[in-house]
Amino acid sequence: MPSDFTFSFEGKPVSAREGQSVAAALIAAGERCLRIDEAGSPKGAVCGIGACWECRCSIDGVPDTRACMTPARAGMIVRRQRGLDPCIDQ
Amino acid sequence: MHRSIAIVGAGPAGMAAAIEAVRRRCRVTLIDEAERPGGQIYRQAHPALAGEEHAERAELARKHALIERFERVAGQLDYRAGATAYAAFGNGELHISERGRTEVLRPDATILATGVRELAVPFPGWTLPGVMFAGGAQAILKSQKVLPGARAVVAGCGPLPLVVAAQLLRAGGEVAALALLRPLTGMLAHPMSLWHGREIVRDGFRYAATVRRAGVPRLTGYVAVRAIGTECLEAAVLARVDAAGRVVPGSEREIPCDLLAVNYGFVANSELAAMAGARMRRDPVIGGWIPEVDAWGRTSIPGLFTAGDGAELRGALVAEADGTVVGAAAASPDGAAEASPGSELASAIAQRARHLEFQQVVRSTLRLPMELWRLVTDDTIVCRCESVRFGEIKDALANGHRSLNAVKRNVRSGMGWCGGRTCLHAIASLVELSTGSAPTEMMTPRPMARPVSFAALARRSPT
Repeated sequence: MPSDFTFSFEGKPVSAREGQSVAAALIAAGERCLRIDEAGSPKGAVCGIGACWECRCSIDGVPDTRACMTPARAGMIVRRQRGLDPCIDQ
Repeated sequence: MHRSIAIVGAGPAGMAAAIEAVRRRCRVTLIDEAERPGGQIYRQAHPALAGEEHAERAELARKHALIERFERVAGQLDYRAGATAYAAFGNGELHISERGRTEVLRPDATILATGVRELAVPFPGWTLPGVMFAGGAQAILKSQKVLPGARAVVAGCGPLPLVVAAQLLRAGGEVAALALLRPLTGMLAHPMSLWHGREIVRDGFRYAATVRRAGVPRLTGYVAVRAIGTECLEAAVLARVDAAGRVVPGSEREIPCDLLAVNYGFVANSELAAMAGARMRRDPVIGGWIPEVDAWGRTSIPGLFTAGDGAELRGALVAEADGTVVGAAAASPDGAAEASPGSELASAIAQRARHLEFQQVVRSTLRLPMELWRLVTDDTIVCRCESVRFGEIKDALANGHRSLNAVKRNVRSGMGWCGGRTCLHAIASLVELSTGSAPTEMMTPRPMARPVSFAALARRSPT
């Protein structure tokens, strides 16, 4: 699959194509666990349409941003949230 | 005087309603969360990702015909892509948030064309990454051109699992099993109704052919009872259920996979109608709690209409016809239109009736036996946002908290980020299973129907 640019997830580069959501690019890169919830359980994308909020990540310092509804952009910094830690330290 | 109409949702019903209301010279504001029109069923990929589509040609033709009709009038309406309606009130106010700002609309009429979401039946392990709703997996494939798993198990009931299995195969994925609660061939007992839905039936046969040619094992009468994995999904456990929906002991099969895509039907996005105070009723097969509406889509609240699947689960073809009818009704001050013989409106009314005949048959595949809810063990998480297990809900019920609101206040089920949208119907069904009586009231929907930041509330656009 051709990649147009990269962004960072947990400090690692992830390839994406223009028009793809952050969640789709992460799934394509084999990253299934997008968040660790308050109970310590791994969570991934579920509904794919922005209804369930399970795929929320810290994106460019904004916590609780739905990865499935956010278009990926070059140089974005995406972090896996852990519990209530909003990951705002970049 | 040009009437102002706000429409929430740019799927088939919302697009058709917008086209009709513009044709009748209304000032239309169309609010939709996505960047491009289409809704879920006619979801459009970003132009940079256009190309390969895995849907049937006839389905794509219907999609492109409607989107083209919509694009022709799009310049004549106030189309708010990427905006969210987060509150509706009985006084006609509609509150929306858009790119970090909020705004209050006061249209003469509002049409809620908010569609449906997938109905969740929780089971042990379903919170593992890799377990998705089948429509969610399809959305990743359809609009993102990403295969949501290399080796999938697809399960559930109704037509969607078959469609998703076929589309995964066409995209180059492997489908390790297709498990259906009951065979789709049950629909063949109603040939007249199938004739009414022939456009869709034809597509269905082609999807079935794709699955057959790939040699995918089809397990009819099986459901997903468990997902196994530590960090991510590693295997799905399927088991046979009897006619009453009870798991047959000893019938379990463990199938390694990295995607378990499940769909058990749909529930209506009816929170805004309920928030505005519209009279609601509950019917699990046609969308859970849905507003009571008449043939023109009028709810019990003057000026508030609903159209499409959000009013009652009836599929895209009914939704498109219904959007035209409701758009015409909302455009007229008395909320009903004149359908003279031979008019486009009369033809939309006839189309709606014809496709509904077919949908009655589809519904027969979506009925869930009450015993199926026993898949939810005491230890199973029901409310994913707040990690509430069924055992906690049962304790609350045993302590006399019988209504959904009372359960919610006691164990926080439905109080998380999704606003109860994922678990509402499951909790209602589990209350019915546990107490023997179905809850009469839904969890009271209050603002915000979607999370809105304080900053956006502070940045309110003047109206």
